[in-house]
This record gives sequence, structure tokens and C-alpha cells, in this order.
Amino acid sequence: MTQATVHAINYQDPKYLDAYSRINALVIEGEREAESNYLTMGEMLPEHKEDFVRLAAMERKHAKGFEACGNNLGVTADMAYGKKFFDTFHRNFQDAKGRKDIVTCLVIQSLLIECFAIAAYNIYIPVADDFARKITENVVKDEYIHLNYGEKWLKDNFENSREAIQQANAENLPVAWRMLNEVEKDASALSMDREAVLEDFLIAYGETLSNIGFTTREVMQMSAKGIA
Amino acid sequence: MFGLIGHLTSLAQAQSVARNLGYDEFAEHDLEFWCVAPPQMVDEVAVTSTTTGKTVYGQYVESCFLPEMLAQKRFKAATRKIINAMAFAQKRGINITALGGFSSIIFENFNLDKIKHIRNVTLELERFTTGNTHTAYVLGRQVQQGADQCGIDLKRSTVAVIGATGDIGSGVCRWLTEHTPVQELVLVARDQERLQNLRSELGGGLIQTIDQALSIADIVVWVASMGQGLDLTHENGPDRVLHIDGGYPKNMAKAPRREGVYVLDGGIVEHSLDIEWKLMNIINHVANPARQIYACFAESILLEFEQLYTNFSWGRNQITVEKIDEIGRLSVKHGFKPLLFKAADGIAL
Repeated sequence: MTQATVHAINYQDPKYLDAYSRINALVIEGEREAESNYLTMGEMLPEHKEDFVRLAAMERKHAKGFEACGNNLGVTADMAYGKKFFDTFHRNFQDAKGRKDIVTCLVIQSLLIECFAIAAYNIYIPVADDFARKITENVVKDEYIHLNYGEKWLKDNFENSREAIQQANAENLPVAWRMLNEVEKDASALSMDREAVLEDFLIAYGETLSNIGFTTREVMQMSAKGIA
Repeated sequence: MFGLIGHLTSLAQAQSVARNLGYDEFAEHDLEFWCVAPPQMVDEVAVTSTTTGKTVYGQYVESCFLPEMLAQKRFKAATRKIINAMAFAQKRGINITALGGFSSIIFENFNLDKIKHIRNVTLELERFTTGNTHTAYVLGRQVQQGADQCGIDLKRSTVAVIGATGDIGSGVCRWLTEHTPVQELVLVARDQERLQNLRSELGGGLIQTIDQALSIADIVVWVASMGQGLDLTHENGPDRVLHIDGGYPKNMAKAPRREGVYVLDGGIVEHSLDIEWKLMNIINHVANPARQIYACFAESILLEFEQLYTNFSWGRNQITVEKIDEIGRLSVKHGFKPLLFKAADGIAL
């Protein structure tokens, strides 16, 4: 959401840059992970391979855009931190791939990771430096397309995947909450409000679940699962 | 399709409602959770016009705002709730949505009109109305008709408006000045400059404190919500006094009072036909939720009946007598009546 008031932010403050080195890393890692995940899903659903390859290419472009944001501020992204940050999602996605569980793969990548990206980018945009703002504004538009893609597939296959979505949600939503809490201090150093990110996530995620076919009651139950 | 953006009145009530609806995940959490909870479409509403027979359909959007957010100065959370509920209503394709309870107050006090973009939604403010014009109309009519019921002669009466300089209060003052023979209008508000301006505009009116006003007023219209804990037993005003409680939330109807003091829930209308909604006992905080509804909500219903898709009530202090009369005509046309005393209220009607 657009913030009602924005205080002047010193983008060269050492504390800002220190936090940025980790936030920038996890964003870049998230985009790289997304690229790899979409390519994987293209292999799992060969009839949609072309689409997935296109989505993966968009994610590769996003990663480069965010690398440029770090360079613009003179920050070296702490990629070891970024990799560790995505570790659980990475492992859960790979496990699902191993058992050919496309529903879980879609829930992790197209719903959870995309919704978190959308929420975080939406809250970041009003407090970003000019360079990063332009890049992030374009990225967030793409992420909605990605979210819609996963949403459409799950909607088309809703009856067969309903329980699997709920199961994947129960296993992976708490991971997302944990990641959000972990990053709270650094996000706050960038003037990003944790509450606002969480709310934005719940809005995007709830809307998606509802579009897929879940009832309001199910959406409320699913999206509150394991909330901190 | 019309919309109503509402909220519950306290955290305890919100938890209890969530539990009753079987949303245990929401019920067991405290205010922190409600501060991040997204808006929800919780009920569908259908209303039929008594004149045209046309039925219009609406959606009730729970914003998850709670008054505790203001009390604890969590203003960012409070403003997010309102703006997110508006974006949610617009995304659902609702033509005209009323901002109920604290929603319109928060929107105006925090200048939320400056926020044009919410995520991938560009807010179209013409799809929203505060509903304040209809509330002003209903309060004005409650003064006229309530006075009759209580045996108060308006020509010889003093009417005090508490919160006179606000959006609704100033509208009520203009309407009473234009349409009623009230002998003396007493203006009560905090801001002296705005009071002076209002008096100049009205061409009259007595500026007083609440205590002074209560000692002389035959009718008191409460637009500001100051009735909490109000004790009407020791009031030293006229023998017969009518209080019209237009504040939110309603808290005066059960206040202790001496004989000759009458209290009417203000800003509420009754419909001649049942309003159809499933959760009305939970979300419609009035005495008879099948028939009664806040006038501000009813404004969006009226606009939907007429397909007047415009922000009929918007901005501060722009409620004119003409607009009040216009919405009043529509209110009567489609079967709404201002809430008045019933025989059971113990008044010789």
C-alpha cells in the first residue's frame, strides 16, 4: 500500500546499506530460485513448457534488475545469506519435484513466493530510492502475471487438486511466516513496515485462493495457518 | 451492486464473532492479528423497494478495523484497513459503497484521498459515499417527528447540536434552519473558529459549551460520539428532553436517566420490508436488524436503486439542504423511514 506519510530516508546511511546487502541478496536469490522453479515446472508440464520458459526469462530479468539496484547504491549483496534464507522453500520444492507433485510446486512458487514478492515490492516501492523504484514498479506488474498463471492452472484443476493445495498450504505457509519474521529488522531499516507487508500478502494470497475456488471460510482458515 | 464497508465495535466482540462463525484461527488472536487481517466479504444483502418492487443486491465488506487501533494510536493499521477495504470493494466490481462506522471519519481525518493507488488498483472515489447526507436527513426528520412524539413544540424549543461543525452536524444545522421553526439552535463543538463560521453561514445560532447546552435544550442531537458513560439522571434541563443519539457507536440508549428524558437511536432508518442477509445479527448493530439499518449504509442502497453511481456524499462540510432533500425524497420513495419511538418505549404516542 502507498504510505500516507513518507519520512526522508538516507539511502547512504551505513545502517541502511548494511540491511540492504541482505534484503537485496534475498530478493535476487528469490528471483533466481523462481527462474529455476519455472524451468522445472516446464519439464513437469511439457504442454505448458513454452509459457514456463517465458516466465523464467522474466524472473532472470528481474534478478538482473535487482542486481543493478544493489550496484547503484554501491552494495555487495550477501548471497550466502540469500541462499540460506530460501533454503526451506528450495528443499520443499525439490522434494515435491522428486515425487512429481506439481500442485505443491505451484503453491510454493506461483502462490506463496509470488504473493510474498508482490507484498514486499508493493510496500518497498513508496520507500525505495528513485532508481530502485522504477525497476520494482515494473517487476511487480510481472509478478501479478506469474501469480495469475499459477492461479489459472490450479483453478482449472481445482477439484483434483483441492486437498493437495490445502496440504501444501499447511506445510509451506508457516515457512513464509518464519521468513517474514526473520527479515523484520532489515526490512524495518529500509522503512518497510512488517504489518503492512503481512497484510498485503494476506490480501494477495486470499484473493488468489478465492479465485482458485476456495470459499471465504476456507480462505480464512488456510491463510491464518501457522501465523506468528 | 451496492457495498457496505463495516467493522466490529471491539476486539472482544470481534473474537466472539469469529468464534461463533467457526473461524477459530481469527478468534484466538489478539489485536496484532487484526492489524494485519485482510478485508473480507462476509455477507450478501438484498433489499426491495416498496415503490418500484425492484430488488437490489449488495455485499457487506468487513474491513477488520477495530476501534482499539485508534485508541492505541495504531494509525497506520487503521488507515490500511479502510483503504484496503475500499480497494477490495472496487475490485469486486461494486458500483457504490458506503463507508460505515469509523470508516469515513478515518478516511477524512487522515486525508486518505491523497492515496490514489493501492497495489494494482487505482481508486475510483466516485464509487464511494460517506452516507452522511442521508444520515443528516434522518437526524433532521427524527428531530421533527421525535419532537411530535414527545410532545415538544418545535416553535418554542431549543435544539442543541453536539458536534455542530462536523460534516453531518453542519448539514443538520443547515436543514433545521431552513425547514423547521426551531426557536433557538445551539451550536456545540470544540473549534471556535469553525463555530463562528458556521453561525455566520446560518445567520444565527447560539454558541455554547455542552453543559450550558444541556441545561437549556429541549432536544439534543448528538453527532459527536460523546455519550459513553453519560448519566442523564442529574441533568438539570427542561422537564421534557429528547436526546437523539447519532454518535457511533450507540451507547446512550441504556444510559440512566430521570423521568421526562427520552433517548432515540439517531441516524437509523427502518425499511417496510425485511432486509435479507444471513449474518445481520452479527454485523448490523441495531435493535431490529431485519428491518433497521444505519442511514449511511442505506444511502448506498438508495443510490443503487436509482443507479446514481456517484459519490453523493463526499468531502468535508459540503452537505447542502438541496442534497439532503434529494436523498430524503429517495429515502421515502423506496420505503425507508427514520427510526422513531414505538408504543413499547413507554411514550404516550
